[in-house]
Amino acid sequence: MAVSVDEAVSPGPVRDHRPPGRRSTGRGRVVIEVAVLAVLAAVMLFPVLWMIETSIKENRDVYAIPAKFFDFTVTLDHFKDVFVASDGGPTTLSGAFLNSVIVAGVSTVLATVLGVPAAWAYSRFSVKAKKDQLFFILSTRFMPPVVVVIPIFLMYRQVGLFDTKLGLILIYTAFNVPFTIWMMKGFVDEVPAEYEDAAMLDGYTRLQAFWKFTLPLLLPGIAATAVFALIFSWNEFVFAIFLTSSDAVRTAPPAIAGLIGGTTVDWGLVAAASIVFALPVLVFSYLVRKHLVAGVTLGAVRR
Amino acid sequence: MRYPKRIGLLATAVMLVATTVVACGGDEGASTSSPKAPADIPELTKDPLTLSFIWFDWPPAKALEAFANAEYTKERSNVTVKVNVVPNANWHDAMFTQFAARKTDFDIPILDSQHIGEAVTNGNILDITDFVKKNIDVNAYNPYLLAAYGQFPQAETGKRDENASLYGLPLLGDTWTMIYRKDLIGDTPPATWDEMIAAAQKCQTENPGVSGLAFHQANGSDAAAVTYNTVNGVYGGNLWDSKARKIEGVINDAAGQEAMDVLVNKMKPLTAAGSGNWFIDEVNAAVAQGKACIAFNWIAASGGLLDPEQSTLGKTREEILGKLGFATLPKQKTDLVPLGGMGMHVSAYSSPEKQAEALNFMKWFEQADIQKKWAAAGGVPARTDALSSPEFLNAGPFNKVYADSVSRMRDMWNVPEYARLIDIENTNVNAALNGAKDPKTALNDIAKEQQGVLDSAGKKGGGGL
Amino acid sequence: MSDPVSLTDQPVQEASTTPPAPGRSRHLSDRLLTVAFISPALLLLLAMSVFPLLWALYLSFTDYSATRGGPATFVWFENFTAILTSAQVHLRAFTTLLYVVGAVTLQTVLGFSIAYLISRRVRGRGVLTTLFLVPMMLSPVVVGLFWRFMLDAQFGVINSMLGSIGLGQVEWLTKQNTALISLIVVDTWQWTPFIMLIALAGLTAVPKYLYEAASIDRASEWFRFRTITLPLVWPLLLIAVLFRAIEAFRLFDLVYILTSGGPGVSTETLSFHVYKVAFLGFNTGTASAYGILMVLIVIVLAQLYMRYLNKLKED
Repeated sequence: MAVSVDEAVSPGPVRDHRPPGRRSTGRGRVVIEVAVLAVLAAVMLFPVLWMIETSIKENRDVYAIPAKFFDFTVTLDHFKDVFVASDGGPTTLSGAFLNSVIVAGVSTVLATVLGVPAAWAYSRFSVKAKKDQLFFILSTRFMPPVVVVIPIFLMYRQVGLFDTKLGLILIYTAFNVPFTIWMMKGFVDEVPAEYEDAAMLDGYTRLQAFWKFTLPLLLPGIAATAVFALIFSWNEFVFAIFLTSSDAVRTAPPAIAGLIGGTTVDWGLVAAASIVFALPVLVFSYLVRKHLVAGVTLGAVRR
Repeated sequence: MRYPKRIGLLATAVMLVATTVVACGGDEGASTSSPKAPADIPELTKDPLTLSFIWFDWPPAKALEAFANAEYTKERSNVTVKVNVVPNANWHDAMFTQFAARKTDFDIPILDSQHIGEAVTNGNILDITDFVKKNIDVNAYNPYLLAAYGQFPQAETGKRDENASLYGLPLLGDTWTMIYRKDLIGDTPPATWDEMIAAAQKCQTENPGVSGLAFHQANGSDAAAVTYNTVNGVYGGNLWDSKARKIEGVINDAAGQEAMDVLVNKMKPLTAAGSGNWFIDEVNAAVAQGKACIAFNWIAASGGLLDPEQSTLGKTREEILGKLGFATLPKQKTDLVPLGGMGMHVSAYSSPEKQAEALNFMKWFEQADIQKKWAAAGGVPARTDALSSPEFLNAGPFNKVYADSVSRMRDMWNVPEYARLIDIENTNVNAALNGAKDPKTALNDIAKEQQGVLDSAGKKGGGGL
Repeated sequence: MSDPVSLTDQPVQEASTTPPAPGRSRHLSDRLLTVAFISPALLLLLAMSVFPLLWALYLSFTDYSATRGGPATFVWFENFTAILTSAQVHLRAFTTLLYVVGAVTLQTVLGFSIAYLISRRVRGRGVLTTLFLVPMMLSPVVVGLFWRFMLDAQFGVINSMLGSIGLGQVEWLTKQNTALISLIVVDTWQWTPFIMLIALAGLTAVPKYLYEAASIDRASEWFRFRTITLPLVWPLLLIAVLFRAIEAFRLFDLVYILTSGGPGVSTETLSFHVYKVAFLGFNTGTASAYGILMVLIVIVLAQLYMRYLNKLKED
């Protein structure tokens, strides 16, 4: 089972077994450790806090020197600007968010539908050169996107997939399938094959056994895997910027990057857009926090 | 580990793919010259039609969309005009990847003047020579403006070759304006480059917290390169000898070296710390925040400076104008200024009815009264009568600067290799400005690398490194 | 490169040992199921990953250009020799190396330290870990943009804070050394949580009884750390480093947004250079060769590293 950050065992309490004489130094050390940890946490979280502050500042406070940390007027205008254009209609940014929802959503579903059965088959049956196949599947994830994008671009040009949502969906699916297979194989391995054997003795076919008995047990794993696929597709930038060209297809990352480089930069808007964009990912990753380790290592590290 | 077997498989697969692709004859029978547009505009459709442009995201793009939808629809009520915008940094890539895809979601690409060579050589835009002959009054323009936004091969600075083909018509004229703080350096703008530097120096010393100069230094788009080219022109240098296709020894001659020295050793020390990645928006921000005595920016990007919402210089437009002056660039050995702006072109991959509509739009747009209305709507026209019209001259304080600059303009190289030439110049000038390279070395590297690009046309393998 | 079709060539002799008919049909349907379940995924990968890679391989031997069109002519290894001998490429390779080594070292040290400190806490561990993980979940676009804002020399909050403690302005993004350091810092900010997470997985899996035994032996803290903690965490940490190194090696988006390679070309990574070759001059053939070389480097180095890892395990 993947390590859960909440329930893991700590080597910390062992200190209690020490002779009493050394306790005071131990306590001093605890204070130092907590202090160091607090400082590190502050440093790591400061940019996020600053982003939130910037998103609710008026523009003249955004550029203020020295920087204003507390003393500023709070405004939600930037968040309004993310969605509502000056003429009252929806912004291109909100259209890009919608595109991101569609592209990330569909590619995640596709990757799950293709990847879960394959993972089950790899786990249950003897497949020729299984290790090679699995390594090959994983290795496709290690190609630099900038390199892959060139032949993909040429291919899409031929078949008319350039600047289409389908094109983005397919490439994201292809990037997520290896991950889904690797991560799901671990989850399937944990479900005893005997369940299926028993069901088959009762007259079910193998497929029915998989469908009725194994799949329900896999659901939590599938949910976790899907969330990671979703996060990848949601945050992806390189394919998005090179394989799309119109507002109708462009996803949020290139749209947000496009907020700078005009004649003026509205950092408040950039911050608000970034927060709106990051929020779903943060919520989702909180939901799958128990499987984070497996999720970020393509299932390579599980424990 | 059965490697031999796998390699065998791989080799077979490669051969398979290779032969398939070769058998298909590359992948498309691309033409190497531009298709011709008809001399007369074909019959226009009565069905609803969207005419799409592609430009980068800046105020003139919004102005164009609003203007066209308000005015063009009076004549063609079934047409909607859409101006698609991309980030400036992505502008060239966005247009040319679509050209490469042989499928464009725009009908009228707005190319930078130097992109024409690449687009024409690849056959991406229509040859509109015959159309122009029949439909456009070429005598109404300064010949160089017509040439700069449409002619290929490139014209000599200040002239137009009437026998050369045309591939575009002017959409938006532009050049640099000098923006100066009247309240800090006085009402009279400096007349020479030396005076300008001296005034900036004095202003910076007298006003702590305000830097003497602000100009484009970034290594993206054409930012740092235009800056160097401008100083190069003013100091009597040349970018290249277009007839001999020679850059080495031309851009880095004595005048070129002096220009680089002035830019790096005299101008750069007067800019703000960390301004080494500034482009249009950062220069505007510095001016609006009152942090620069003298700044240089494109006229078409300067409108926001008069907006009290974005400025700390005043609460009204008048108050801001009391502090900001706009002037033509100072002269030194020559009076050259950079040619900016863009032309309209017709995508070779648009449908015939959209191409017809695009031609009709261009003809409509270049009429005298429409050009004046475009000027009043915030655009910069190209027709001489529109440039001297009160509609234009009264629309913005910088418009007179443009009208006075027209006869002084110089462009860069308009060749298919433009994107690489500009990248070489941008990165090297940027390196020199930020101390990553000695200025002399940077200029010699520009000359050597650019010459290498021009000479490598027939070379096999490794192109583009 | 095993193709899915070969799955059906499974040795049939097993069938002879399977006695009655029901068992036999079950085995057959298993094989059918395997093919039906695995081949769609493999086909997609063949179409979207393998085919493009082979195409790139073919193009890398030609002088093809995506915009100029026309037939591609074979130049065989000239693209490769041009790339390998180009001083421009060597410069980018050196920059990439500095960046990978700097970033991965920094985030390994920091990530492990944080994990170690967290693992020694009992209360608040879940909350702490969750908070530390936030940067990792953000899109590189968001991270790049926002750090660019914070690192701005004029009105950025970092210089503002340095100013208020009496330090001068630092040109974070426009000086040769600071720009690369900024890249490393931003990458470290985003990916330290990754190392931390994996190190934490290793640390918390150390069986409690080992510590208790050591504690009874009055073993020193450092001794316990060196003999119990580290050996158990080390293999995991090495895997984490491998993942990070591969990711860092192909870095593109952060450079694109934070410095666009500047000042000059001093923060141009290999990926960024490939992008320029591919999309500025549309030298598709050269760019493909460049990309293939990058993939080869990743595969060879990763294999060597894995071998070292496996040897470590056997010892």
